[in-house]
Amino acid sequence: MGHLSYVRPQTLEAALDHLDRHGGATKILAGGTDLVVDLRNGGVRPAFILDVSRLTELKGISLTEEGLSVGAGVTLAEIQASKVLQQHAPALWKCAFTFASRQIRNVATIGGNVAHCSPCGDTVPPLVIHEARAVLADRKGMRHVPVEQIASGPYACSLPSGEIILRFILRPANGITFCDFQKIVRRKELATARINAAAMARQEPDGRISFLRFSLGSCTPTPRRMPEVEDRLMGRAPTLKMIWEAGRLLAERTIAVTGRRPSTVYKESAIQGLFFRILYPLVRS
Amino acid sequence: MDSSAVRIQFTLNGEPRSAECPVETTALKLIRDFLKLRGTKEGCGIGECGACTIILDGKAVNSCLMLAAQLDGRNVQTIEGLSTGEALHPIQKAFVRNHGVQCGFCTPGLLMSTKALLDENPAPTRQEISEAIAGNLCRCTGYRQILASIEDAAGRGSRKD
Repeated sequence: MGHLSYVRPQTLEAALDHLDRHGGATKILAGGTDLVVDLRNGGVRPAFILDVSRLTELKGISLTEEGLSVGAGVTLAEIQASKVLQQHAPALWKCAFTFASRQIRNVATIGGNVAHCSPCGDTVPPLVIHEARAVLADRKGMRHVPVEQIASGPYACSLPSGEIILRFILRPANGITFCDFQKIVRRKELATARINAAAMARQEPDGRISFLRFSLGSCTPTPRRMPEVEDRLMGRAPTLKMIWEAGRLLAERTIAVTGRRPSTVYKESAIQGLFFRILYPLVRS
Repeated sequence: MDSSAVRIQFTLNGEPRSAECPVETTALKLIRDFLKLRGTKEGCGIGECGACTIILDGKAVNSCLMLAAQLDGRNVQTIEGLSTGEALHPIQKAFVRNHGVQCGFCTPGLLMSTKALLDENPAPTRQEISEAIAGNLCRCTGYRQILASIEDAAGRGSRKD
């Protein structure tokens, strides 16, 4: 390993100054649970580690005028303990319970999970259904970017090296009657998702769906919504058959993005099955 | 702080400590190789097995996934801080009584996860215990004796720091 320096700025301004000068040679450390593994196996070789874990500007969960704000430095354990998220972003709250292990949840952050750009990051589908925007800062100012646009590919972050994620702004789940997060894993705990997904819906008293957001994780190189799949169920009172068919459409649209590969035989059925498993509670008998 | 070595100061098992190490040194390596406290174990080195669990500001964390620099200014407890001299901590006694130890490699990590759990929640349900130690793998016991040990430790409720 070459010369490596550790920098822990006292203020956000100092962090942004550092990134302005050395961003390209810097890896940002929030919790470090992914970064330390990458450093160890030589996957990354930065000249600087910028430890932002103690910056208060990256902390906190609150309802604001612009939406539900979740600091990039909020840990998964903090998400798990948050009554505000339980009420206003239940899928995000739920995903924290099965995220890695207690030890990792105590340290790992939502900002790190998003910026690491793993296709199977568990916080990503819940953020996507809330149409979350990341608030980014650099030395010149701030801008908002939809969470779907942060990854440019698996483990590839599109954000300029001078920028840092401050927080996420989620559309709160007002009037939502249904919300869920589920994943398919090889064991119950400490398991990386093979497939994960989040959904949020509003169902009218007559059973019709008047609002639906669904996001599938782990299957495409970058996160996305599938509006055609949502549209298939919008305005309708779903039957089991409709949900099964919408799941089929989701699998087809996903394969249209990835192409057919050896794992497609499994994923095709698994995507449809997971979609069905999440959404069948919307069927009124 | 901006150089290829980091100087850190922290509290380790109640005592103030300082250390200097290369930036890439993990907290685990600092504890084992620099400070010569070999109770904390390295199993997988990538946060899967929990053998390296320590308590940082009251919370269980994997020391293999953390840089030594991240300990600066914080309160760290390792397995060496659990007993008082020769006197075992009540959690350790409960593990002995219930045969919660076989080869012993996972034990320091499990004890630290248990300590963090019981400090926060003195009367956990079996489900809460199970969730708290899900990040600690044991290849010997099949976990039943470990769960029994933790329930026993919680039931006796005579923990001390």
